[in-house]
Amino acid sequence: MKKFKFSFNLVLLLIWAAIFVAIAAMAPTFLKPDYIINTMLRNIVEIGMVALPMTLIIITGGMDLSVGSMMILCAVFGGSAAAAWGTGAGVAVTILVGLACGLINGLIIAKAKISEMVTTLATMYLFMGLSRGYTEAGSVYAYNFASWMGNTEVLGLPIQIWIYAVLAVVFVLLLHHTAFGRKLFAIGLNSSAAKYSGVNVEKIKITLYVLCGLICALASFIYLGRFSSVKYDSGTNFNLKVITVVVLGGTSIVGGSGDMKGTLVATLIIATLNSGLTVLNIPIATQTVVQGTVLLIALVAFAIMNQAKSRRRGAPKSAEPKSVS
Amino acid sequence: MKKLIAVLLVITMMACLFAGCQKNEPAAAEKSDGVTIAMLPKFKGENYFDACKVGAEAAAEALGVTLLYDGPSQDQATNQMQVDILEGWINQGVDAIVVSPNDGTAIAATLKKAAEKGIKVLTFDADAQEDARSYYCQSVAADGAAKGLLDAAKQDLLAKGYGPDKTANIALVGSSGTDANQNAWIEAIKGYLTTDDYSWMVIANESTDIIHPGTDETKVNEACATLIGRMGGGADQIQAAIALSSMSTPALGAQYEAAASKPDASVITMTGLATPNAIKDYIKDETNPLNTGVLWSCFDLGYMSVAVANQMVTGELAEGASSVTYTQEGKELTKEINEQGYCCLGAALVFDATNVDNYNY
Amino acid sequence: MKHDRKKNLTTEFYLLVFLAVVLVFLGVFAKGFYSINNIMSILNVYSYVLISAIGMNMIILTGNIDVSTGALISVVCLVIAAIGKLGATFPVLLITAMVVGMLLSAFNAFFITKLKIPAIVATLATTQIFQGSLTLAVEGSIYDLPATYTWLAFKAKVFGIIPFSFVMCVIITVIALLFMKYSRFSKKIYAVGNSTESARLTGINVNRTVFLTYVIAGALFGVSGVIVGTAGQRVTTTMGSGLEMTFIAAVVLGGTSTAGGSGRILGTVIGALILASISSAITYLGISTNWADFIKGAIILISVLVSALRTVKRKRSIPGKAGVQAS
Repeated sequence: MKKFKFSFNLVLLLIWAAIFVAIAAMAPTFLKPDYIINTMLRNIVEIGMVALPMTLIIITGGMDLSVGSMMILCAVFGGSAAAAWGTGAGVAVTILVGLACGLINGLIIAKAKISEMVTTLATMYLFMGLSRGYTEAGSVYAYNFASWMGNTEVLGLPIQIWIYAVLAVVFVLLLHHTAFGRKLFAIGLNSSAAKYSGVNVEKIKITLYVLCGLICALASFIYLGRFSSVKYDSGTNFNLKVITVVVLGGTSIVGGSGDMKGTLVATLIIATLNSGLTVLNIPIATQTVVQGTVLLIALVAFAIMNQAKSRRRGAPKSAEPKSVS
Repeated sequence: MKKLIAVLLVITMMACLFAGCQKNEPAAAEKSDGVTIAMLPKFKGENYFDACKVGAEAAAEALGVTLLYDGPSQDQATNQMQVDILEGWINQGVDAIVVSPNDGTAIAATLKKAAEKGIKVLTFDADAQEDARSYYCQSVAADGAAKGLLDAAKQDLLAKGYGPDKTANIALVGSSGTDANQNAWIEAIKGYLTTDDYSWMVIANESTDIIHPGTDETKVNEACATLIGRMGGGADQIQAAIALSSMSTPALGAQYEAAASKPDASVITMTGLATPNAIKDYIKDETNPLNTGVLWSCFDLGYMSVAVANQMVTGELAEGASSVTYTQEGKELTKEINEQGYCCLGAALVFDATNVDNYNY
Repeated sequence: MKHDRKKNLTTEFYLLVFLAVVLVFLGVFAKGFYSINNIMSILNVYSYVLISAIGMNMIILTGNIDVSTGALISVVCLVIAAIGKLGATFPVLLITAMVVGMLLSAFNAFFITKLKIPAIVATLATTQIFQGSLTLAVEGSIYDLPATYTWLAFKAKVFGIIPFSFVMCVIITVIALLFMKYSRFSKKIYAVGNSTESARLTGINVNRTVFLTYVIAGALFGVSGVIVGTAGQRVTTTMGSGLEMTFIAAVVLGGTSTAGGSGRILGTVIGALILASISSAITYLGISTNWADFIKGAIILISVLVSALRTVKRKRSIPGKAGVQAS
């Protein structure tokens, strides 16, 4: 298992290298440090950040479709609070909204036992609708703390890249080097078995969704700062982008297996692709089709690898398509 | 073994990276003898911006400059998508950016960043914050557009028996709700409604009668269908619908056609901004209450924008000028620029059944 | 199975009561909501929501899902616009739309059945491919479409008043109700949804069942696409984007479990009606449509919570009889 994982990440890394070199060969501008830092890396941070808790959630067999709406709701309420009562209130409200949204998701999923997809589908509408109704479809503008988070350079790099780097390290450690992380895999493999072996499944699930809300709140500062405004529909498709990154990183959508480092490399791949296509002056819409193709190729590759693996072991189909519930 | 390959690979990449950095500076300088102008519409496709694009392309060809044209797709016509595209252009170093912002306030920071890097920044169609751009290539003055639309509705309403003795409820259909030009028109319209000439035209309930369905075609269609269901002669119904976007005007015409029991065309009226081709059929159809359309030449707007941008790059046109002169199809044109930096194309064009066939865009 | 059916009947019953209360409420407070014109325009929206939701329901019953439906409908709309521009008439448009829908849905099903990729990620990827390739093929939109193209929306009215789209919807719904009740294939769908493994053991070809379900659903998505696409003289590349969520919501609201194996068309019929009338209803209540999404989300959430709480209660009263429920 260990060996397989390692080689899988290596494949991802190779894919990234190939894309990087190919784009660089076609458009030298791509290699400007300015471009790499300010376009390629800076623009992926929000997606990359939310992909971290999303990886944990997907490993437990869950799913959060509401992340985009949650992030925008945080930014909308935070921005409005800051406009009314000042920066401190803005920051506090943003964080509280994130925690509250996560808690709502977590409680409904863990306590009422409603499937993750249905719950977060409903809250996706709910949160987005709340932003839309509250702002009457208008924009909310950045305040000084958000602008600072989105536009400051520290030691030559935008501050959000530092934040992302720190979070990435924390999440890698959390997933792969703590008892908490091992419990997540156990829940993903077999939730009832985990429960009977003494894992408090409900509590862990709630924690995960709250954590996801918190990270969304954090990402919302950066998002609001970077774009200097948000509107209720800014978060559309954000969830799909995040899930794409996680799945591309090799985390199984049915839960039970995954690797945080894979998510990190996948983030890099998507970042390179997006910014690379821009630099080649390919219309921005093409990004979608390329991203979709890369995801599909990756999925087919996993599927083939998994089938080969299970055949080798003589085990009955382990990669059975099961509904995500 | 695999680890070794990985390490080698990373080293190679790093080497590429540094080699690239060093080699790149002269390469970028070489590239800069051709002027590159990047044009960003609110969204891509759809008659209006397509016509602007054709004009811009014609100008680019005549002037021998490279034109980059990209924009969000219609349902993603948001500031975020525009900023994403802009950042790509800024960091690859184009010479000028011409943009029609979805949110003029929000985009300002990005435009200022572009200006800091020496890129000339203009707006067209819709304006951004005044300090974020050099000039605003305006189609028609907001006041003129608002008056043109209101007058078109007013005349039809008067003909249908409304007037100072019989008030008429009007509804406005915008699109995203943050477009600077549409909001300016709405404000101007509201301003006119308080004057004596228009005081019998009323917006009864702003939260339901000023509609912003977004930029998604299907949602626009649905919103227009609902609005048409609310139209009629009664005091609690809507008598005049004015559409402020080139998306919603044809949708109004189409949804009237699609309505199951059509509200009586002799007691209601509809008008709006649209390219003539998009609403030709409805205007010519006498049973359809969409009788007039308001617009300007999108081709000319696109042409002018690129011409002005090019003059800024070459230095022919400095900041703070009071007029600009350029050649379009052999004709020399001079446009006034006011103290706010508005470079105005001309007056609004109102078309109806008698002259709609004279236009083809 | 019997126990199951009883539970679903009550889900539908509650929904029906809810719908009735809302309709009466609207009759009292939303002046003009019951005008012929408004009802007909709601029915038109209802038609395409329900037709697709029926297809989505079948897919969800097998324990799979399709999030690419919106993008698929966008492709259908653009294809029919392209041939509509050449003067193709309604029957041609309809058949083309169904064929395109079936092909694209089969493309989805290929990845799901042959390559064993979980449905949600497979369709997530194809969404991006469908949507992205459209923007490559067409810049923005096809416009100035002829009268033959908009015939369905503008001219096709039964008795001069009822939109033909609604007639198509009624026909499809009746067929679907009969099909899901009496056909052998529908039994296979439920069996696969309940447990792939036991379905396989009873001799059902699981892959074939899932594949066919997707193809049938694809044809239904195609029909929806015609209704959505012919609404006006312009077709953009994003006609369907976001619609998949409405369809899934209608199915979920109708009491179908996303885990598969339980749920009926009748629930979807009611669920779709609730979702299709929200925007219009709140406008007539004098509330800005900006609140529509919020209300949509709240209704879905409350309805699933209520049905979950009822199951929990029942579980307590009948120990050992858990029933098949989404978890």
